[in-house]
Amino acid sequence: MDYFFILILAATLVLFALFERVKKFIFLISFQGILLFGIALINLLHIDTLELVLILLETIVVKSIIIPVFLRKLMIQNQLKRVHEVNVPVFYSIIFTSFFILGSFLLSSFLQLPNINSRIFSIGFASIIFGIYFITIHKNIFSHLIGYLIIENGIFLFSVGVGSQMPLLIGLAILLDILIGVLIIGIFVNKVKDRFQSIDIAQLSQLKD
Amino acid sequence: MLLYYFIFSLLISLSILFFKKKKLSNSLIIVFLLGQIAITLFAYQHIDQTDSAFFKFDALGILFTMVLSVLSIASFYYSRFYLDYKDSSIKNESYYYSLLTLFIVAMTAANFAQNMAILWVFVETTTLFVAGLVYFDRSKIAIEASWKYLFIGSIGIAIAFIGILFISVVDIKNGVMALNFDELIQHTKQLNPLWVKISFLFILTGFSVKLSSVPLFPASIDAKTVAPGPVNALMSTALINVGFIAVFRFFVVFSHTDSFLWVRNVILIAAISSLIFSAIQLFKVKRYTRLYAFSSMEHVSLVLLGLYTGGIAYYAAILHLVFHSFIKAGLFYQITGIKQTYHSVWFKDSGNYFRIRPIDALVVLLGLILITAIPPSGLFFTELTIFKGLFLSNNIFIAILSLLLLTVIIYIIAKKIMHLLYGAQPKTYKETTNTSNRYAFIPVLILFALTIFIGIHPPHFISELINSSIVLLK
Repeated sequence: MDYFFILILAATLVLFALFERVKKFIFLISFQGILLFGIALINLLHIDTLELVLILLETIVVKSIIIPVFLRKLMIQNQLKRVHEVNVPVFYSIIFTSFFILGSFLLSSFLQLPNINSRIFSIGFASIIFGIYFITIHKNIFSHLIGYLIIENGIFLFSVGVGSQMPLLIGLAILLDILIGVLIIGIFVNKVKDRFQSIDIAQLSQLKD
Repeated sequence: MLLYYFIFSLLISLSILFFKKKKLSNSLIIVFLLGQIAITLFAYQHIDQTDSAFFKFDALGILFTMVLSVLSIASFYYSRFYLDYKDSSIKNESYYYSLLTLFIVAMTAANFAQNMAILWVFVETTTLFVAGLVYFDRSKIAIEASWKYLFIGSIGIAIAFIGILFISVVDIKNGVMALNFDELIQHTKQLNPLWVKISFLFILTGFSVKLSSVPLFPASIDAKTVAPGPVNALMSTALINVGFIAVFRFFVVFSHTDSFLWVRNVILIAAISSLIFSAIQLFKVKRYTRLYAFSSMEHVSLVLLGLYTGGIAYYAAILHLVFHSFIKAGLFYQITGIKQTYHSVWFKDSGNYFRIRPIDALVVLLGLILITAIPPSGLFFTELTIFKGLFLSNNIFIAILSLLLLTVIIYIIAKKIMHLLYGAQPKTYKETTNTSNRYAFIPVLILFALTIFIGIHPPHFISELINSSIVLLK
C-alpha cells in the first residue's frame, strides 16, 4: 500500500515537469495533499485522535483545500493560463525528473539508513530536489510558489520518513507558519503583478548596484 | 511569563493596527517598550529557568535580548523621524508600528527558544514580518526586495528544517520527543556522525539568510538596501544575532560529537567565503545602505572565524556581536538623517556633509572609526582576540588572508564615507529641502559611547553572561 502511494507521488513529479497549464499545477498540488495524507496515515507508529486531527488538518484541509483554493484565486486574478517560459525543454525535464527519483532511491539504499523508512525518505528527497529544479527552470514567480509548495511537501514526507512526531502545539505552530508564509508569498505575487504588469522574474532585477 | 508577554504584545500590535489613532499608538508603543524591558529584566532575574514549556532564559538569549531591547527603544524613536520624512498616512503608520512590534517579539522569542522546532517557527516568523516592513516603501525596488527576502528566506528556513529533522532521528531513538537542546546535549554520543554532518550543512545554509553569510546572503543584502532605516538597524543587528543564536545552539550540541572538527571546518569555509564575497561586492556598491549591509557581512565572517578558532575567541565572537549591534544600528539610524538631507542614499547624490550638518558628520566619522575597529572601538579588542587566537592555533595563513581582506574592506568603507563627509557638494542638494532633525544624533551618540565604554571597561554582568553561554562548549 505504501508503494502504491509513493509511486503515484513519483508520477505527480513527472507530471509537474510535463504540464504547462497552471490549472493542472494546482490540481497536482491538491492531489499531492491527499497522497501525503495516505502515506502519513499508513506510517504512523501510534496514532491518537489528536494526531489524526493534526495530520488531517495539515494534509487534506491545508495542503489540498485551502492552498489550492487560494492558488486558484491567484490564477484568476492574474489571468494565468499557461507557463510558456520554461528554460529547459519538457523532454529533458522529464528525463531529469526520472533521474532525481531514481537517484534518490539509489542513494537511500546505498546509505542504508537505520531507523528510517527509506522509501518515504527517498521520495521526499526527490521532491525537494525536484522542487528546487522546478524553481530554477521556471521564469515566473507563480511557478516559483508552486516549486516552494513541492519542496514543502517533500519536507513533510521527510518528517514522516524519519518518524518525527512533534508535540501537538509545535506541529500546529509549524503548520500555521507555513500556511501564513504561503499566503503572504501569494499576496506578493499579486503585488508584483500590479506593479510590474508581469510576473516574469526577469523584471525583478533593479536592485543590483 | 513569556506567554503573557506574547499575548500582551499581540494585543498591543492589534490595537495599533485597528484603532489607527496617532496618540493611542504612541502610548501603546511606550507600554510595549516597558513590557519589553520588563521581560528582559525578568529573564535576567530568572536566569537558566525554563519558561512557558518551550523556552529557557539562558545567558546568551538574555544578552542578545538586552541588546535587542536597547535597540528597540532607539528604533521606535527613529521611526518617528522616518515616518515624518515619508509623510506617511496614519493607516501606513499603524501598519508599520504593528509589524515592528511583532518583529521585535518574534526575535525575543527566538532568542529564548529552547526547542529546535520553536526556534525554527520564530525565525520563520521574523521572515514574514521583515518582508512586510521592507515592503513599507511600496516602491518597485521595495517589492522586489521583499519578494526576494520572503522567497529565499522561506526556502532557506525550509532547508534548515530538514537539518532539524535529521537531528530529531536521534531523539526518537532515545525516546526524547521534545527536541530540546539541553536534552540533546546529553544524547550526543548516540548521534550518527553522518547525520550530524549533513544536518549542520542544512542548518547553516538555512539560517544564513538571517546571519547574512554565505550562501544565502543576497536576499538579506537586498532587503537591507531598501528597508526603512530603523528597521534596517534591527535587521542588521538583532536579527543577525538571532541567526547567530540559531547556529550557535546547534554548534554547542555538535561540539560534543566526534564530527566537531568537520563542523568547525564548515564554519571556516563559510567565514572565509563570506569575507571574500563582501570584499568583492564592496567594490561595486553605490548606496550607503548596501555598504553597511556588506559591512555587517564582514563582521559576521569575523564572528564565524571566532567560532572556528575556539577558546578565548568564543568570548570575543559573542562580544563582537554586541559591539557590532550598537555601532551598526547607530550607523543605520544616521542613514535616516542622510536621507532627510540629500533625499537619496546613493553615493553620487551625497557629499560635503561636514559643511551641511557638522555635528551629524562628526557622529558619522565616529561611527566610521568604530566600525572599522580602530581604538577606542570595542571591536578593536574583540578582533585582536580573534586574530590572536588564530595565530596561536597555527592558522597563520587564514589569519593573514583575513587581515588582507579586512584591509581592502576598511579601505572601501573609509573611502565611501569620506566621500560623504568631504566630497564635493552634489548639485542635487538644496538647503530648502533639507528636513533633517538637529537633535536626532543624540541616541546614536549614546550607542557609540556605550560601545566605547563596554570595550574599555566591560561590565561584570556582560562578561558573566558571555562566560556562561560558552561554558557548555567543549
